[in-house]
Amino acid sequence: MASSSTSDAFISAPPRTADLEETWAFLTKGVDHIMNKLDTGMDFPSYTNLYTTVYNYCTSTKMHGKTDSNRTGANLVGADLYVKLQDYFVEHFKSMKEKTAGLQDEELLRYYATEWDRYTTGANFLNRLFTYLNRYWVKRERDEGKKNVYQVYTLALAQWKQHFFLPIQKEDTKLASALLRLIERQRNGEVIDQGLVKKVVFSFVSLGLDNNDPIKECLDVYKEHFETPFIDATEKYYKKESDTFLASNTVSEYLKKAEDRLREEDDRIERYLHTKTRKELISKCEDVLIREHSELMWESFQKLLDFDQDEDLQRMYALLSRIPEGLEPLRKRFEGHVKQAGLASISKLIGEGGNADTIDPKVYVDALLEVHKKNSETVTRSFKSEAGFAASLDKACREFVNRNTATGSSSTKSPELIAKHADMLLRKNNKMAEEEDLEGALNRVMVLFKYLEDKDVFQTFYTTKLSKRLIHGVSASDESEASMISKLKEACGFEYTNKLQRMFTDMSLSKDLTDSFKERMSQNHDDMDITFSVMVLGTNFWPLNPPPHEFVIPAEILTTYDRFQKYYQTKHSGRKLTWLWNYSKNELRTNYLNQKYILMTSSYQMAVLVLYNKNETMSLDEIFAATSIGKDILTQVLALLVKAKILINEESEQYDLNPGFKSKKIRVNLNLPIKAEVKQESNEVLKAVDEDRKYAIQATIVRIMKARKTMKNQALIQEVISQISHRFAPRIPDIKKAIETLLEKEYIERVDGSKDTFAYVA
Amino acid sequence: MVTLVTSDNEKFNAEKEVVERSVLIKNMLEDVGESDQPIPLPMFLEYCEHHRGEPLPAPDADTSQDDTRKRTTDISEWDQKFITVDQEMLFEIILAANYLDIKSLLDVGCKTVANMIKGKTPEEIRKLFNIVNDFTPRRRCAQIKKENEWAEDR
Repeated sequence: MASSSTSDAFISAPPRTADLEETWAFLTKGVDHIMNKLDTGMDFPSYTNLYTTVYNYCTSTKMHGKTDSNRTGANLVGADLYVKLQDYFVEHFKSMKEKTAGLQDEELLRYYATEWDRYTTGANFLNRLFTYLNRYWVKRERDEGKKNVYQVYTLALAQWKQHFFLPIQKEDTKLASALLRLIERQRNGEVIDQGLVKKVVFSFVSLGLDNNDPIKECLDVYKEHFETPFIDATEKYYKKESDTFLASNTVSEYLKKAEDRLREEDDRIERYLHTKTRKELISKCEDVLIREHSELMWESFQKLLDFDQDEDLQRMYALLSRIPEGLEPLRKRFEGHVKQAGLASISKLIGEGGNADTIDPKVYVDALLEVHKKNSETVTRSFKSEAGFAASLDKACREFVNRNTATGSSSTKSPELIAKHADMLLRKNNKMAEEEDLEGALNRVMVLFKYLEDKDVFQTFYTTKLSKRLIHGVSASDESEASMISKLKEACGFEYTNKLQRMFTDMSLSKDLTDSFKERMSQNHDDMDITFSVMVLGTNFWPLNPPPHEFVIPAEILTTYDRFQKYYQTKHSGRKLTWLWNYSKNELRTNYLNQKYILMTSSYQMAVLVLYNKNETMSLDEIFAATSIGKDILTQVLALLVKAKILINEESEQYDLNPGFKSKKIRVNLNLPIKAEVKQESNEVLKAVDEDRKYAIQATIVRIMKARKTMKNQALIQEVISQISHRFAPRIPDIKKAIETLLEKEYIERVDGSKDTFAYVA
Repeated sequence: MVTLVTSDNEKFNAEKEVVERSVLIKNMLEDVGESDQPIPLPMFLEYCEHHRGEPLPAPDADTSQDDTRKRTTDISEWDQKFITVDQEMLFEIILAANYLDIKSLLDVGCKTVANMIKGKTPEEIRKLFNIVNDFTPRRRCAQIKKENEWAEDR
């Protein structure tokens, strides 16, 4: 490939002993060829001759030119060659500089890039031909601390910068401006030669030189001559563009525009900029495109929410998440939005249905869930499930779930309604159960449950409802009950569901007990004509109260009663059985009518009805004397029987058996709840809750004090609130009262000489 | 395959992989491009052939490696044999390695010379290398100190 013409020029190398003049005269021809005509090639002999000439000169033992008298150590030869090369480069740029004077913009860049390619290729070549110089003389100079002496290639770059690059830049930063104009044209949508931009930009990078370590990349030239003006130009460009665009377009459109622009700039870095520029460029763009307009975005946020403009929400989220503090106002607004939606939804219910007291738990729960679901989806879809938005959603939900038009000022209404809804779900004959979505419905209950502040109120209602389901055998399935309990346990811990689980244990123990009792009776007695089953329930675990009055056990069941009592005592001696007549029920068979009916009754009804085995007419007082049931309840019991037309009440306080009773059904259910009981229930539950809370607060205080030994009043109150708030929101007066109580009981004491510090009394 | 020509016009054929141990030849092949033309070189190939396949020293071998290279005077058995030549030849090899930029061979040569010097008095060294003592006693001290300053641990 080497042409013969080139080899001729270098065929006769100077002798080994040649002096500087002779040596350089030969080398300069080679250097010239390499820098200007390398495309015509070079052959091996020429290469070897040039290399050898450098080698010979550097290894010649006699001193050339003047010797540096301050030299330390053995002398190395090469300084003269180095200076000659340096001068050569300066000369080399002269014609190039003249050329650039007449060039502008793209033409200038093109010329610069071409020359750069040619120059760097040549310089690489020279670097190797002058290897010997690099290896010894240059190395020694640098080792001795002369940081302005470089390897030949680096020298070439330094010279380019000093004698070509900087002079061009001096004229109004001619190169950089040309680059910036080209980039602006691309931003305006024109197609430009990106390869050209890249070449010139990266020549700036190459020109950076760290004197201490020439190999290390140094960006000072790039930064000064390109990056800084580029960032400035970018800022100006986008400031103008975004202002103009917003003046005539909607925010939604602007979001799209900004998103596109940011992506473009990111691509730009990939295409022709140094990656180190990314951070500054992108943050500048974010600043101009997003932060400058963030308030406008915040303002439009509500509108996007109101109209469910999902894509725009996503975009706004993505953009604002890029700047510090960009999302916080959105989160706040979102929280307000959700809260408003929740409150509005409930208000609408009340508005239509009228009364807050009679609101249907299902409708109430569904309304709450609907708001939660919709906004929860928005968080997932539009806000990428970002934790801050999830927290806003939770905060808003907590607010409207606990306090809305339906609850008024009562903090217990929501837990009550939700517990009632759960009860409905878990009852037999619930449509949900048939749809097999019971599990899903329970999960949805849990969603709301998590937002409840007074979880203990829910717990109490739930326990009451559960006990009813179990006693009356109306629970949909043990499986679903267990599933719900495990969900509650997961949410609130073992303690929270302990009672509930004990209730189930009691149920199954009772079943075994009934079976074993029956078996025993069938062995010992043959007169058991009463089907009997019993539930023995732990007093502390069941929200049940014994009847407030006496009850005369009818003779008909007295034998069974006695036998069971004895049987139980032999099995568990020392345990006290309290009979809850008010929760018991019976089945009676009629013999006095043509048609035989089975009457399903409460024990009170049974006690009354068996009296009519002996009498056909009885007065209220007679019945009271025979049963001892409190008169207020007794009248209601009787009223029910009268209403069912079993008894006839023609004269006041006089009840006759109705000999003409008729019913379409053979089994007649007389066991309907008594009104007084229903009303009483809610109040009792709440009373129980209050009582429980007192103990819970006291127990928490004792636990904290036991661990901390001494504590200040304020800190103690804070700690109690934080520990207990997962169950309910304690009121500070209650906590103070509890502290007083504990002081009285001497669990804790005041520390001497201090008013507000308490100590644990071991 | 590349053809090499020595200064006295003897031609050798050698595999590219082998001769590239010389940084000079490696650069030349890269810069000029491979061709059928013989590469004029006054050198031999035995050494390169033996070390075929060993990693070439990195162009900018870092200093830590440099240090170990400097400190050890151990020479492998094969290299030992290869370098066991008369003094004249030994210096020829060193010069050639220097010229061809074959770092490992240059090291072996210099280490050999260093081993020859080790433990000898200046007189013995002069005798060994046939050096005429051209110093006056007074100048000697200062000159040596100055010349060897670079070699001292700094």
